[in-house]
Amino acid sequence: MNTKICKHQTSLLLMKSSALNLPRQFPRYACGWLVLVSLLFVGLTIARADAVSELASFSIFDKVDLAQLAKSDVKTAHGPPMRTSRFLAVQSCYVAPGAPAQQMEALRRWDPTTHRELKVFLHTDLSSSPSPANFEKLKNAPDNSPVRSFVAATQKLSPDLQISKDEAKKFSAGGGGGGTMPAPVATFWADVLTSRVKSFVSGGMSAEPPYDHAGPSIRASDEVNGLLREQEKIRRQFSGFLGATAIGHGAGSLRPELYWELLDVDDQGVVTLGASYNRGGAGSTYQAADVLYYASGGYYVALTLYQLWPVTVEGKPSTLVWRGDMISAASLGSLHGVERLGSESVMMKNITKAVTLFRRDSGGR
Amino acid sequence: MEVDEHVKTFVPRSLVLVGCASLFFASSALAAENSNSFWPLSGEYTADATYVGEGDVERNPRKKVSDFDEIDSDIRLVLTPRTKFGVLRLGAEWERFSFGLPTGAALPNTLQSFSTIIGLDMQFSDSIIVRAETQPGLYNSGLGHLFWDNFNMPFLIGGTYIYSPNLQLVLGVSVDVERKYPVLPAVGVRWKIAPQWLLDAVLPTPRLQYELTRDVSLYAGATVRDATFRVDDDFGVSHGIPRLNHAVLTYTEIRTGAGFDWKISPIVTFTGEVGYQPYREFDFYRAEVRYNQSVGAPYGTISLHGAF
Repeated sequence: MNTKICKHQTSLLLMKSSALNLPRQFPRYACGWLVLVSLLFVGLTIARADAVSELASFSIFDKVDLAQLAKSDVKTAHGPPMRTSRFLAVQSCYVAPGAPAQQMEALRRWDPTTHRELKVFLHTDLSSSPSPANFEKLKNAPDNSPVRSFVAATQKLSPDLQISKDEAKKFSAGGGGGGTMPAPVATFWADVLTSRVKSFVSGGMSAEPPYDHAGPSIRASDEVNGLLREQEKIRRQFSGFLGATAIGHGAGSLRPELYWELLDVDDQGVVTLGASYNRGGAGSTYQAADVLYYASGGYYVALTLYQLWPVTVEGKPSTLVWRGDMISAASLGSLHGVERLGSESVMMKNITKAVTLFRRDSGGR
Repeated sequence: MEVDEHVKTFVPRSLVLVGCASLFFASSALAAENSNSFWPLSGEYTADATYVGEGDVERNPRKKVSDFDEIDSDIRLVLTPRTKFGVLRLGAEWERFSFGLPTGAALPNTLQSFSTIIGLDMQFSDSIIVRAETQPGLYNSGLGHLFWDNFNMPFLIGGTYIYSPNLQLVLGVSVDVERKYPVLPAVGVRWKIAPQWLLDAVLPTPRLQYELTRDVSLYAGATVRDATFRVDDDFGVSHGIPRLNHAVLTYTEIRTGAGFDWKISPIVTFTGEVGYQPYREFDFYRAEVRYNQSVGAPYGTISLHGAF
């Protein structure tokens, strides 16, 4: 897969080099510096043109003015309409200072829990062989309405919980413990999450147990594949990269960075498992993916894809970032007409907020 | 008293029709759990009926219309296909107010409209959604008198500002050139006060709502109905006020009550509501003949509605 994506990008670069079409009779020795400067200038311009045209080739942003985008906030738009009513997608793009590698590193290091408005209560990075001890923080979950709802839903094994039948059988309400998160609840989730992380590491998303505790069986891998299938241009753009990950299928060759979170989804506490991947490509570009492959409620799966290109804006090295957020959630299926427009608007606002905070934290704005 | 003989005119008054339409909507909706696999279009529908008990209106203390009841029926179907420019709104509505008036009352027994709905919901930014909608149709006082001079085309333009997922502000303007006040502005707010509490203070149905379970909500609120109709050519002569021939009537009523929404399936919601109607007005404003409510009345509403 690595070879495939490199070949594709190399062929693009080769084509652009030949397009320079320098006059053969031009005495190279006579104007060495001029040629070098010209090449650099043209190269930079082409890097810009490449990035913008590649962005236009697969995204909703068919016309982007880099200079203008660099001066503005993140540009957000809803993705193409999808046939499956529980799917929703939003795309965004922005220009950040620094090279793609720096942006990638900033994304990796960013901690959303420092911003209360993002409603992430707990965030913990995981190793590839986690144990229930990695979920100890659950016992110290904040005392708030979403967390209390989450605990109540667990104690009565609410049909809203997205777990498998086998996982549901393991819950035991007995035992002591008070506090926001009683010990039996915290232990139950620590076991469920540990087991699911191990399944993901060994067999990718396709090894994840379905959500079939109540209602029809839903598989997160089917959902993510459906999301990508209905956005063919994006699927094609990221096919090589995603093929090396565990997103939508078995374990891939790329090593994920794993984490878990406790967050607020529509006033309900939700525990979720995530995996991040990134890979550098030709010309200092990057592709990255962040998948929430398990959620105890609220949504079935969420996937964020990133494409980063090096660009030069006003003489400064910068990065053009495209971000595609896609989600599958049962609640979206019941939204129609203007309600769906409204939910897209809310998703766009949330993404704008998250990107703005990230850019502020990383010095990009 | 303008009327001293209380002979009620009996008409089936559309309840049967509303019932049939409701059954159609319900059966097709229940047959398909996931509408997208059953019906390729998205849309929304309403079929409701309201009975208002006996109340009085008066033009002055000597000209009263007493003890008349009312049945309102409304059937509305709007398809909402998604386009590049936004969500189109294409549909039709039939609305009927039927009054059990004593004979001789200078008021029409029936007010009804057949209209098409043409509109568009547009997303201007991640914070602003705008709706422009018009309802061209025939607005008159009976089935037997459908003429083009009953044609009217009221329209509305409204915007929603999405401050946050829990708070949206609404600003709109309704335009009806035949209405006493052709341009009526309105503001509203939709505020999710707490996980189970929603203040949906947007006309024509401002409500405070409590989500009892995932499928059942209770609410208290109001319903504002306002429409303009043209009465028959000989209405004035036949009712003893010649200047009301072919006159324009603005009918307004306000109901306040409490009810419940029961989500029977993802695309069918049943609503039951009871309350009191404190305000009603028949206003032939150009002819300067106006009947205001002097005695209110209780009412009950049932409704099937949903989106697919």
